[in-house]
Amino acid sequence: MSSNQALHEAVDWRNGRIAAGVNFDEQLYRTERRKVFDRAWLVVGHEQMIPRPGDYVSNYMGEVPVIVVRDSGSQVRVLVNRCPHRGNQICVHDRGKTKGFTCSYHGWSFSLDGTLVGAPMEKALYGRELDKAQWSVERVKNVASFHGLIFASFDPDAPPLEQWLDEDTRWWLENFVLALPLGGLEVLHGFHRNSAKGNWKIVAENFIGDNYHFFAATHHSYFSAVSAFQNAGELIPIVTYPDVARAGVTLRELSCGGNGRATVLGLGLVSIEDDVLHEQDLADAKRLGREAVEWVEYRHRRLSEVLADRPRKPFGFMNGLLFPNLGLMGNYSPMLGRHFHLFHPRGVLEHESWQWTMVEKDAPQSVKDIAVQRVYQGQYMAGLLAPDDIENFERIVDAGRPERSWSRPMNYGLQLDREVEGESGLPGRLGPNPNEMNQRQFYRCWLQMMEAA
Amino acid sequence: MTDWNTYREIEDLLFREAHLLDERRFHEWLDLFADDAIYILPLRENLQGDVPPAGHPVIKDDRDMLRARVHALHSGHSNAEAPPSMTCHMVANVVVDEVSQGEAAVRSAFMIRQVRKQHDEAWWTGRRHDALRLESGGWKIFRREVLLDGTILPRGIHIFF
Repeated sequence: MSSNQALHEAVDWRNGRIAAGVNFDEQLYRTERRKVFDRAWLVVGHEQMIPRPGDYVSNYMGEVPVIVVRDSGSQVRVLVNRCPHRGNQICVHDRGKTKGFTCSYHGWSFSLDGTLVGAPMEKALYGRELDKAQWSVERVKNVASFHGLIFASFDPDAPPLEQWLDEDTRWWLENFVLALPLGGLEVLHGFHRNSAKGNWKIVAENFIGDNYHFFAATHHSYFSAVSAFQNAGELIPIVTYPDVARAGVTLRELSCGGNGRATVLGLGLVSIEDDVLHEQDLADAKRLGREAVEWVEYRHRRLSEVLADRPRKPFGFMNGLLFPNLGLMGNYSPMLGRHFHLFHPRGVLEHESWQWTMVEKDAPQSVKDIAVQRVYQGQYMAGLLAPDDIENFERIVDAGRPERSWSRPMNYGLQLDREVEGESGLPGRLGPNPNEMNQRQFYRCWLQMMEAA
Repeated sequence: MTDWNTYREIEDLLFREAHLLDERRFHEWLDLFADDAIYILPLRENLQGDVPPAGHPVIKDDRDMLRARVHALHSGHSNAEAPPSMTCHMVANVVVDEVSQGEAAVRSAFMIRQVRKQHDEAWWTGRRHDALRLESGGWKIFRREVLLDGTILPRGIHIFF
């Protein structure tokens, strides 16, 4: 797939036909690093992770290690974790609080904003020849916060973040993902990380819209465990998800963005006017006590106010992805914390998932506790769901690695002619559930970036 | 120094436990845990300076959650365990630190190789801090803390440590 034309033919997103080579071709992977990960706005953390000057977390932008740090003037900086002297990493911790960073190779030291402040025996060895201003750590050029979510881009020509996140995307991020009308979210510290087989796009497209696998095959053992408790008349100790088969429930897939230089946001299992889910929240809350019930009722009321002018009222959603690599999970109940996943590329055949958890900030502690517990018991690397997905990714790699398999298109055609169906008056396009429009939109956005000069 | 018989009983329990897991006799394995058992696997991180601890662990199971995991494994539908993983749990460095009033504090180390399908595998090593209680049926584990070595898991966890 050396030419743009070959790539264009391989990624026929309009017809739901995408050649497997996009997940296996080394050459394409190198192009992708340059055109997608070196240009996109990437999420690198949340401001609450680094509240004080000197606080930092380590992360990656694509395969580039970065330090997300609050400098002495309280400004958030994203520094490339690499000493400008001879290329050694200057930070080897996952998170911390520090006065600066010192390279372990020759001891050059840097302030929190990346400025070179000292080199051992500087006067004796360099005299006046070391121009410190010229030898600071590389600062990622564009850094912006969206209600606390920190985005960064290497691209000097990156569009403003408000353009990358278009109006529809911002509406869903503000009202549902970040829960601003409810008082916002609270970060739980620590990245929960696993490595896995499979190109990063395989897990990204799974998050953006694969609600077919969820009920159809992959997670049957989880459903069996739920039924075992249900049938015995016992309290189910684990998270339960919105039931697609339930009568009177409207579930949709939603897609935003993708025009011009705006990125794509896809959300799955968007429940509309879902009293059943609200009743389930109330039942859970009653077991936790009065405070919990009040919170569930308050947030329901508050959400109705926000949606007063909308013809239909979304209640929440289950999964999603902000292109390219921010996965979302668990946004349909206060009793389930919110998973934020970063899918980092690790060569063409592997990825790492970096997950952190957030809960509704103003909720009572009893609600927060159960919400957190349900995160790590569910779609989580040691929970009852994600290991089944990781297993699939491994099988995909084994099956797809041989080059002769790369050109045959795979099928992304589910509900192809039903991209827009259902409720109007809500930001974005709503389609039926399940549906592969979000995977098609993912590849549309990807192709657009790959074809750009 | 713990008396030899108590030490042997506890070491034997841990060795038998390893065989139960490798033989996939998960219901019998579950019987080694007390009704109020708690099984914790904290998040491991490399931290610098004065920062708050991790907001939540990787695993914190009570007995019901352990039962849910065993249900899933025995359901016949586990994707992650089809075909079943071949595992070998090696348990060593068993030390009984304290025995009093029918309770024992025990440390041990483990090394597990998990083999999946044809080419996939994971090595898991770490240490365990167990708290055991003498009940009518013998020693039961009522608290297990697993200190798994590594900050990034090599794959998803669907085995027990």
